[in-house]
Amino acid sequence: MLGAMPIAPFSPRTTALTSLLCLALLGCERRGGCTGEYCGTLVFASVGEPDGLLPPVLQSTVGRDVSDQIFLKLADIGLSTNTMGDEDFTPLLAERWEWDGPLTLVFHLDPRARWQDGRRVTAADVVFTYDAYNDERVNSPYRTGLHWISAVTSRDSLTAVVRFRRRYPEMFYDAVFHMRILPGHLLRNIPRDQWRSTAFARAPVGDGPYRFVAWKAGENLELAADSTFFLGRPHIRRLIWRFTPDLQVAVTQLVAGEADALEVLLSPDNIERVQATPHLATYPYRGNAYGYLGFNLVAPGDSTHPHPLFGDRELRRALAMAIDRERLAKSVFGGHAKVPPGPMSQLWWIWDPETRELPYDTTHAARLLTQRGWIDSDGDGVRDRNGVKLSFRLVVPTTSAVRRQYARLLQEQLRRVGVEVLIDEVDFSVLLQRVQTGQFDAMIQTWNTDPTPSSGIGQTWTQGGVGRSNYLRYINPAFDQLVEQATASFDRAQARRTWRRAMELLNQDAPAVFLFAPENVAAIHRRIADVAIRPDSWWALVRTWRIPPDRMIDRDRVER
Amino acid sequence: MATWLVRRVAASLAIVFAVVTFTFLLLHLAPGEPFLPSGDTPIDPAVVARLRHQFGLDQSLPLQYAKYLGALAHGQLGESFALHRPVADALGDAIPNTLVLVGTALVLELLLGLAFGVYQAARARRLPDVALGYATLFLNSVPTFWLGLLLLLVFGEALRWFPVGGVVDPVVHASLPWAGRTADRLWHLALPALTLGCVGAAGTARYERAAMLEVINQDYVRTARAKGLPERRVVLVHALRNALLPLVTLFGLSFPFLLTGAVLVEWVFAWPGMGKLTAEAIFRRDYPVVLAAATSASTMVVLGSLLADVLYAIADPRIRVHGE
Repeated sequence: MLGAMPIAPFSPRTTALTSLLCLALLGCERRGGCTGEYCGTLVFASVGEPDGLLPPVLQSTVGRDVSDQIFLKLADIGLSTNTMGDEDFTPLLAERWEWDGPLTLVFHLDPRARWQDGRRVTAADVVFTYDAYNDERVNSPYRTGLHWISAVTSRDSLTAVVRFRRRYPEMFYDAVFHMRILPGHLLRNIPRDQWRSTAFARAPVGDGPYRFVAWKAGENLELAADSTFFLGRPHIRRLIWRFTPDLQVAVTQLVAGEADALEVLLSPDNIERVQATPHLATYPYRGNAYGYLGFNLVAPGDSTHPHPLFGDRELRRALAMAIDRERLAKSVFGGHAKVPPGPMSQLWWIWDPETRELPYDTTHAARLLTQRGWIDSDGDGVRDRNGVKLSFRLVVPTTSAVRRQYARLLQEQLRRVGVEVLIDEVDFSVLLQRVQTGQFDAMIQTWNTDPTPSSGIGQTWTQGGVGRSNYLRYINPAFDQLVEQATASFDRAQARRTWRRAMELLNQDAPAVFLFAPENVAAIHRRIADVAIRPDSWWALVRTWRIPPDRMIDRDRVER
Repeated sequence: MATWLVRRVAASLAIVFAVVTFTFLLLHLAPGEPFLPSGDTPIDPAVVARLRHQFGLDQSLPLQYAKYLGALAHGQLGESFALHRPVADALGDAIPNTLVLVGTALVLELLLGLAFGVYQAARARRLPDVALGYATLFLNSVPTFWLGLLLLLVFGEALRWFPVGGVVDPVVHASLPWAGRTADRLWHLALPALTLGCVGAAGTARYERAAMLEVINQDYVRTARAKGLPERRVVLVHALRNALLPLVTLFGLSFPFLLTGAVLVEWVFAWPGMGKLTAEAIFRRDYPVVLAAATSASTMVVLGSLLADVLYAIADPRIRVHGE
């Protein structure tokens, strides 16, 4: 019967569809499959792409995240993020260390440490690294962190000696935190002014738990676990960073199951979206950023004269008192940000809730303004004095939804006490240019901080920071002195008290209104176990994470 | 024809030169600074100053321009400030991705636009024509990125029929055989190409419908019908050929629109093409990349326009070019 049926020739359409189906079926065929404890693929949704993978010349956060899996430090900061002394640091390349006098630190390298090309890691590499980080031709942004180190030498092949110019509480932090040890034998012959663009910077050989596999520009970057890593084989075999142009695309990739991890979700909407996704878990941890409304204390474009409005300390204090910071933080971040008691992120140990701040008191604020002669003489809702309106321009970057939202809420809160705020939304690059040249009235600025307050506060809020990050040009010698005392103190409790006094002085001067210190919330696939996130470097502990075999999904077993 | 072609190529080169010059001036005169931290991390001004010196940004603008033109004449596009790699390499990675996306979208645009236009014209003022008319008007009116987001949310995130971004699946792609890698690429191409192609197809369909309606009432079409030819042959053979001319014009016009539309589509779908590269370079004030992207894009547009002119002359024997 069947044989009697006429066989119709295939139409072009049928042929095309059949070909496509065959192609798709062939596409599903894969070679092999990984089994056991050391399988697993972790895909990071990465906002942006590294600017390279050679540590001394890196500026991007994602570049640092990736290179920290490839290159090791001598020792690393612990989960406590305590930067004073050396007791909270964890050995990495250095298996131990000791102090040889007050200014000399001796590191003993782990003899098992190897470069991924098989060569031993030696003290000569440590000496080479220090020399490179300090070389003007390399132009490393981390060079300033090594300012107090006078020399690094080798005593023998496994002993490196670091000498300091002076004694201070964070000597150990400076010796280990800024430098990732580099392979001298691979970099020595590359001209140092070409390190940023050298081929090694895009395909490095390191000594860390993961080795470089591939980097497809604009698409993704892959690392593979080094099964011979001397501090223990990493459990997760493949790490892949998928590059996305912005946070929303990254979150979509997570929710759609195409990525496993994202370090910061930022907005309450994103957090809710992830929490509503069954395969994702959220991990809150201390944030390393703080934001503030900053007042330019000098006249725009003329740093020799005070700003016509913000040169008046009482006016700034009145504005600070007119702002309900708790309400703003709640509105913008939900429950995921605190109001900082000064210029500090939640990461810093100097966070002290007992710090005195100006209260939220609109009545007092209005009275202060009236006392200073600012009254609404023409009934237009905006105070004025001698024909000048109490009005200023607030500059925020278009790229920051948080700061744009804050600007609108601040505009409304200040309007209620008769202050007019005109918002300038500008490109991030334009904003930085304007604030660096003093061409602004007020700004909303965010800073990402190092684990230590010593460098960040100095750069941004002291006289030494003018011309660097002290865009507001806040100068108070008494504050500077307190900062110096606090950073020089070896007694943590004493230092904390001094920091509090410094912050109280700053709050009274009100060069800025400290608005938010976000708590970071990471999203990570639920199949990942033993997740630990270090607040200063979120993926630093990935080598200890694992995926239990019974929780693995298809992509965990794929062989490359 | 040869004289006309020489003139046309010379004019095209002049246009590209003008684009390079204007882009150079606009970039350097616009506010903003290239060597600034990508995040909110303080950076030592001395590091910035040394970088500016290294890339010659501390020199006068005319000198920088002269040096840039000199390098360009030697085929050197410089080094990216932000990516720390030769601009030619960055473009070399991005341009093929954009050409694949735009090329596929162009094919989709022409095929779908042509099919719908002819179908509507053949059923003019009946229900299918009216319904398709509203549909194409809607599609023609929506912003490309909005349609992209919609398709992404429905077919990518909710139904998971298609991936939500990228060119390939980074986890499995390298492990697949050749056919699988091709299927993987097509699977990732589907949503971005549909987004870009659908919006263009809607416009094309409306043009093609109008052109067909104009042709379909001509005497020679009536003659073809009177000869007893089947309606399908009348429409597809006799009428369509003459209604194709607006499509050739549209082809030339579509290319720049597709290129500009690709910027947003590439952004939404994390597609590593010219658009995404350029947009990121603009945000970072990465002058060499922006300049090279503008030069490449203007060259492609000029070439597309030239090709359309040549096609137009070939497709319509009534048209004669100057100089012939």
